[in-house]
Amino acid sequence: MIRVEGLRKSFRTRTGVVQAVDDVSFEAADGQITGLLGPNGAGKTTTLRMLYTLMTPEAGRVLVDGIDPAIEPARVRTRLGVLPDARGIYKRLSARENIEYFGALQGLDAALIAERTQRLVAALDMHEFIDRRTEGFSQGQRTKTAIARALVHDPRNVVLDEPTNGLDVMTTRSLRNFLLDLRAEGRCVLFSSHIMQEVARLCDRIVVIAHGRVVADGTSDDLRAATGCANLEDAFVKVIGSEEGLFE
Amino acid sequence: MRQLWIILRKELLDAFRDRRMVVVAFLILPLAVPLILAGTATLSARKQSQQLEQTLELPVIGAERAPNFVTWLESNNVRVVAGPQDPDGEVRAQHRDVILRIDAKFAEDWRAGEPARIEIIFDSSRAVASGTTVARVRGLLDGYAGTVGTLRLIARGVHPSVAQPLQVGIRDVATPESRFDLSQQLLPYLLLLLAFIGGMQLAVDATAGERERQSLEPLLATPVSREVIISAKILATAAFTLLSLIATLTAYRIAFELMPAGDFETSFAVGPGGLAQLFLVIVPIVLLGATVLTALAAFARSYREAQSYLPLLMFLPMIPTIVLMVAPVKTQAWMLAVPFLSQNQLILRVLRSEQITPLEWVISFGSAMLLVAIVWIVAARLYHREQLATSV
Repeated sequence: MIRVEGLRKSFRTRTGVVQAVDDVSFEAADGQITGLLGPNGAGKTTTLRMLYTLMTPEAGRVLVDGIDPAIEPARVRTRLGVLPDARGIYKRLSARENIEYFGALQGLDAALIAERTQRLVAALDMHEFIDRRTEGFSQGQRTKTAIARALVHDPRNVVLDEPTNGLDVMTTRSLRNFLLDLRAEGRCVLFSSHIMQEVARLCDRIVVIAHGRVVADGTSDDLRAATGCANLEDAFVKVIGSEEGLFE
Repeated sequence: MRQLWIILRKELLDAFRDRRMVVVAFLILPLAVPLILAGTATLSARKQSQQLEQTLELPVIGAERAPNFVTWLESNNVRVVAGPQDPDGEVRAQHRDVILRIDAKFAEDWRAGEPARIEIIFDSSRAVASGTTVARVRGLLDGYAGTVGTLRLIARGVHPSVAQPLQVGIRDVATPESRFDLSQQLLPYLLLLLAFIGGMQLAVDATAGERERQSLEPLLATPVSREVIISAKILATAAFTLLSLIATLTAYRIAFELMPAGDFETSFAVGPGGLAQLFLVIVPIVLLGATVLTALAAFARSYREAQSYLPLLMFLPMIPTIVLMVAPVKTQAWMLAVPFLSQNQLILRVLRSEQITPLEWVISFGSAMLLVAIVWIVAARLYHREQLATSV
């Protein structure tokens, strides 16, 4: 379970201070898929980065299974499987070696890594390229390798930043099914996206972020009821206040 | 510890699969360094013996005014040729190393018993190229003047030793190892340079490259602390550099075995013990280089920016060598506390087979390691910056 309470983060840029995240709170429960929906630049990536300890919040706190990453960052990182916005893999290592490396860094022994890798290869359909060096991999193959690497330690909480970015239809479909499997296993799945249809189809709960703030939080039915729009798309546009950046 | 080893092993695996990096570290460097050193050594040795022993072709202006002198020169392995019209120009244009001009009044003065003038025309700014030849000609003139002077004294019934209040004897205490040639002056610099920046490629790749390829963010999301990550990357860089240095030194040693022995007065005379000592001297510099490079790679915003600092870093190990060339000084204790200067001195002493006391080892090693620790702290702080992984 992931809880976020009153997170704030600002960046100094050449033109002034930008409040990237402004008092964001939400909860992502176990056995559910929670979607962080918002236009590009809404503060999704920054929120997630504070969650997986890459950035320190200026205010507020994060709790992952009740543990505060500000106090015990390493323990939080073992409980999180993270597919960050940056998902580079080592091109001179094979996909398997990439996964093994992260498994070892998570403290797993070789036998366990091998077993988990085998499961992930089956779930993500990676047989064809698992032992090839990753140089020249397609975007889909790279993303699958990055996801397998993020989940090799079997984390209870899975955080994915725009997981379907740049993927073709087939890969997106198989990824969606994979996320549903993770939910069925009782994990807490939190992913961000700027694509409304994707979030609407997958998520049990939707947190809409715009301009660094949470503007709506609930199931898709809640959203429709709150905005008085019968159509989910209209509901989103209404809570965000503009259509900017919401569509591909 | 386990995490450190895992990252270290992965970085080395990654590096050894990079063909370009391996070719440079284990083929080009081991070939180039002995070639440079042995090449300069052979060249300078050969040039010296040529200038000393070969028949010297010496242009003399006005040779007809001093036939006896010319005959004497020719009996001393000199072939006298006619002098050019414009001797200054000829020397300046580097067509001749040295030209003699016999004064128009030479014969007159000679007969009168007055000092007769002979001019040596040479270019002192080309001391390296023509110094030996000029010295040889001077020696010949001194010899002739001395012989004739002695004869004149005897002719006047004076014992020649009257004009020789001093008898100067020369005893050179240099051992064969301590006699210098150019290759030995180059060796410490080359060794220190390779030790210091030999790991450039790996260090930049492991931090700036990792960031540019966007794999740093996932790495930082693992439970491994950033201190462990940089330590592992530094150690990987140092290990790779050391392996490359071993290959280079071995190649150097083999190259010297293969060289015709006659060409060298001096040689790379260190045995296995000396090699081990050289290694000990260099290890702190390897660590220092790896740490500085890693800090730099974390500081730079991109791979290219990191590489643009390279010329600056190349200059650092050069400074003590330059200082020692300009002002050669006796080794003093404080010098051993200055990294690079200290290693430079110790390398020279190992090459000269001189003793190094345990205290000197401690000072040299300790001061360099202290600097490593300071730079490590800087590197760790740079790794904790949020911009490290997030701004590409």
